[in-house]
Amino acid sequence: MDFGSILNALILGVSIASIWLIAALGLTIIYGAAGVINMAHGELIMLGAYSSYMLQYYLGVPYLLCIPASFVIVALVGLILERGLIQYLYNRPLDTLLATYGVSLVLMQGVRLIFGSDPKYLAVPEIFSSNLSLGFLSISTFRVIVLLVTALLVLALWLLFYKTRFGVQVRAVMQNKEMAASFGINSSRVYMLTFALGAGLAGVAGSLFGVLNIVLPTMGASYVVQAFLMVVVGGGSLAGSVVASGVTGEMQSVFAFFTNDTFARFLIFVLIVVFLRFRPQGLFAKAGTRR
Amino acid sequence: MGNLYHNKTAQWLAYAAFFAVLAIVPMRIDDDFLLNQLATYGVYGMLALSISLCWGFGGILNLGQGIAFGLGAYGMAMTMQMQTQTESNPIPPLMLNNGLDYLPMLWWPFANTGLGIVCAIAVPTLFCAIFGTIMFRARVSGPFFAIMTLAMLSAFYTIILDRQAYTGGVNGITPPSPLQFAGVEVDPYSPLAYWTVFFALMIATVLAKLITQSSFGLVTQAIRDDAERVRFLGYSVAGYETMIYTIAGLIAAVAGCLWVMLVQYVSPAQLDVGFSLSMVIWAAIGGRLSLVGAIVGAFVIQGAQSYLGDTFLSTWLLILGGFFIVIVRFLPNGLASLLEAALGLFATRKPKSSAESNGAEPVPAE
Amino acid sequence: MDFTRRKLLKTAGLASGALLAPHIWVPSEARAAALKKGEPLKVGVLFSLTGALAVPEEDSTLVLQYAFDEINKAGGVGGVPVEPVIVDAKSDFNVYSEKTKELILRDKVIAIFGCYTSASRKAILPTIMQRDHLLYYPTCYEGAECTQNTICTGPLANQHSKDLIPFMVQNFGKKVFFVGSNYVWPKESNKNAKIWLEQAGGELLGEEYIPLGSSEFGPVLNKIRDAKPNFIFSTVVGASDIAFHKQFKQEGFKVDQMPIASLTTGEIETRAMGAEFGAGHFLSAPYFQTLDNPTNQKFVEGFLKSPYGKNGTTHYNMEETYLSAYVFKSGFEKAAAAVGFENVTPRAIRDHSGGIRVEDAVSPEGLIWIDDQNFNTWLKPKIGQCQADGTFKIVKAADAQVAPDPYSIYPDIGVCTKDGLKAPDGKIRKNVI
Repeated sequence: MDFGSILNALILGVSIASIWLIAALGLTIIYGAAGVINMAHGELIMLGAYSSYMLQYYLGVPYLLCIPASFVIVALVGLILERGLIQYLYNRPLDTLLATYGVSLVLMQGVRLIFGSDPKYLAVPEIFSSNLSLGFLSISTFRVIVLLVTALLVLALWLLFYKTRFGVQVRAVMQNKEMAASFGINSSRVYMLTFALGAGLAGVAGSLFGVLNIVLPTMGASYVVQAFLMVVVGGGSLAGSVVASGVTGEMQSVFAFFTNDTFARFLIFVLIVVFLRFRPQGLFAKAGTRR
Repeated sequence: MGNLYHNKTAQWLAYAAFFAVLAIVPMRIDDDFLLNQLATYGVYGMLALSISLCWGFGGILNLGQGIAFGLGAYGMAMTMQMQTQTESNPIPPLMLNNGLDYLPMLWWPFANTGLGIVCAIAVPTLFCAIFGTIMFRARVSGPFFAIMTLAMLSAFYTIILDRQAYTGGVNGITPPSPLQFAGVEVDPYSPLAYWTVFFALMIATVLAKLITQSSFGLVTQAIRDDAERVRFLGYSVAGYETMIYTIAGLIAAVAGCLWVMLVQYVSPAQLDVGFSLSMVIWAAIGGRLSLVGAIVGAFVIQGAQSYLGDTFLSTWLLILGGFFIVIVRFLPNGLASLLEAALGLFATRKPKSSAESNGAEPVPAE
Repeated sequence: MDFTRRKLLKTAGLASGALLAPHIWVPSEARAAALKKGEPLKVGVLFSLTGALAVPEEDSTLVLQYAFDEINKAGGVGGVPVEPVIVDAKSDFNVYSEKTKELILRDKVIAIFGCYTSASRKAILPTIMQRDHLLYYPTCYEGAECTQNTICTGPLANQHSKDLIPFMVQNFGKKVFFVGSNYVWPKESNKNAKIWLEQAGGELLGEEYIPLGSSEFGPVLNKIRDAKPNFIFSTVVGASDIAFHKQFKQEGFKVDQMPIASLTTGEIETRAMGAEFGAGHFLSAPYFQTLDNPTNQKFVEGFLKSPYGKNGTTHYNMEETYLSAYVFKSGFEKAAAAVGFENVTPRAIRDHSGGIRVEDAVSPEGLIWIDDQNFNTWLKPKIGQCQADGTFKIVKAADAQVAPDPYSIYPDIGVCTKDGLKAPDGKIRKNVI
């Protein structure tokens, strides 16, 4: 157990945390603001990866431009989804969970019909396929990119929610929809925009995961449960998700360092259940309204 | 008179008719495959029933019903595996292949068929009781509980995969011979297997129905509609929730045992998130507020998958997903509510009774 | 009245069946389904066409259709055409089990070709064995199984890495790190690999298993970085394998300093990850698309031009599946010659399949034959190195066919014979799974 290895494990933990967090960001927004449990979140991530693939393969768009483009495309999908289905289900949280599961089936099979079930890949500039090393420390460039993008998004969201008029409206609707409405806030519009925003964030995550991993119609399924756990542990707030992902990412890396990956996962699932036993409202729950 | 749909006698008659149809089947058909298939659907029906009880009547959405089902199935598979081991060959091949040359303690109870089956049912039930007590005492409810069951399911899935020497890992356990019980071999294709499932399903349904009509059932339904009010009335909400969750777990555990009896196989796939979600789909499509509706939901969806799945090869999931969305959006109480509405047309106009009709028992005819 | 009689018959049949053979109940329907000359021969094709397993298994279905077309054009099997009954197992083990029953009981197929994973094979074996039916399992697996109802045309764990490990030790150095997906096949393969490693004088620095489907290789790659092996031996499968190769490069590992020697990373995988991530790594397999012989050229060209070649490649798993169709053809014809066409049963085919050869003129990978005891395949594993364009260059081929031995690492358990698993004390047990 030399010092360098442990330090590397800790650095990797930060990176794993950023991956968990970016997968959970969109879900946090959607759950936090609208109380919707979006089971199709994994498939929105998958759509992000496929939209990047499509832009790159058919239009030759450079990878770095694919990331914001995926945001826009998936946000549009989210917008359609919200207008077409979710808006009718806001007062039935368990039903949104089920309806969005149906959506996830449709999206997954729809993509398979269009693109086939064989895996695709995203080409990235050569510089991303290397690592940064400093003495005994080492981390891949692309992990740093993911970390930076995640940090930027968190910052942008924080600014959006706490420094803009729209953010005030969202928080007002979150705390009390009726009261907000009586102050002239169009809660339906707020829900619509937050849902689209959350979906767009999933799109960004997808275009990043397509590089780390593989682009497949089924790729989203593996992210949805862990993303949910981050949101629930965090209590549905932005800060909560950041802390929850940070802690679990580090735990995953450190447990895997001492035992193995599979057992590390088991430990994390059990610890999450134990944690929620004592704090069912999550880390930083908004005082009061939504549980 | 009111809506026939809410008439208790009519409901019991419909139940009787449903099971009469299921009872006539094995006498009328001479097709081993169909018999085995229907028995398998019967097991799925039990799962849908347990979801309906827990979710429709208890208001507890359980996305981890695969835990009780899977643990029951593993228990049964271990029992059947041990039945094929002999004195000269006491250790199952899966352990030898994983470098274990002794029988681990975990497997000891399953060496005895009776004890094994008892354990297969008791262990998952006990798990539900403990997990339920812990969670409901902490007032975890609604979507949070659903996510917790999902986390627990993933934990079980992962650990079963990881402890390969004890569980067979991803390959699972494949007992090479059918179950021997009380000197009889339960051939999975025989009418005997069918009848076993049939009676289990019938008993579970009748018990569940009696529960929903009892005062206990009324309190759970009240908790579903407003837990806070019931708590203020002095009921132990956590106790009721744990009870209904545990009963549902018991039904699922029995279903797990029967399932292994029919297919002679268990693997972590039985604890897969997708499988647990499809149980919820069956109940939701059939009608979560109707016990028989949920069972019919399982029969319809699984039947459609078997018979239409190959016709609409690549579009099947698209159809299923779309159908599911439409049901949730427009028919939140499933296909059973269509029947409720249809019978409502015939009902003579009568002021709505003070009792909330929502909780009353809907039944589709078969 | 009708139903009582029928029930009586059933009970009687059940009782007599139980008396005669407590483990294998031969159903009356199966006996009644005699083959008729002139009617097409039905075989079941059981792979996943949708879901997570569809990536490799769809190709298996396509290549089987191609093989049966080819066989039918050349006159069929025993003079009648083969009619594949294609079903979709939806990547769901419950469906595998259900479809197997349907193929046997409803469609009354004479044999089933299917499964890509051991888990799905284990799911259907109880049904196959109970009905005394026949499964052609056309891909690599771990062994440690001895049934009387399967024929396997892929390499066993004992054949797969036999040449690869010494080759890597000679060319890159003694120190190796094992990485695999967390399930049975990688663990068994690694047990075999350890034996070869010891013989080659190598040193094992570490062994790690990743959950199936996981795409996070950071912790493992950190451990490898610390251990500093000369090469990596990989049994990572599926989407994880692709993530592994990508992250390997992204984390700054250099393929010329520490190549990955894999049992799985073939033409489909390199195409899916992008050839730049696959180039330079090694694969051991009995077949590569680039094998230079006339039979393979004909197979590759014919297949890619046919309507089934839409995915644009051939790879080891497809070729093994292709061979299984020819093993079936020979087995059926041998059985028909011995017992008469009408009396051919799955049992008879299997009994007459021992020693069947698929010659150079038919087999793209070169001559193979079926072992007459354990019914796995004698084949020549080859080592290929992935090139910049995603194809493989053959760098070594075994001199002779290697014998399959499902219990090579478990001599204490026994030897697989055609009658069952023969324990060291001489007792024979049937259907050990």
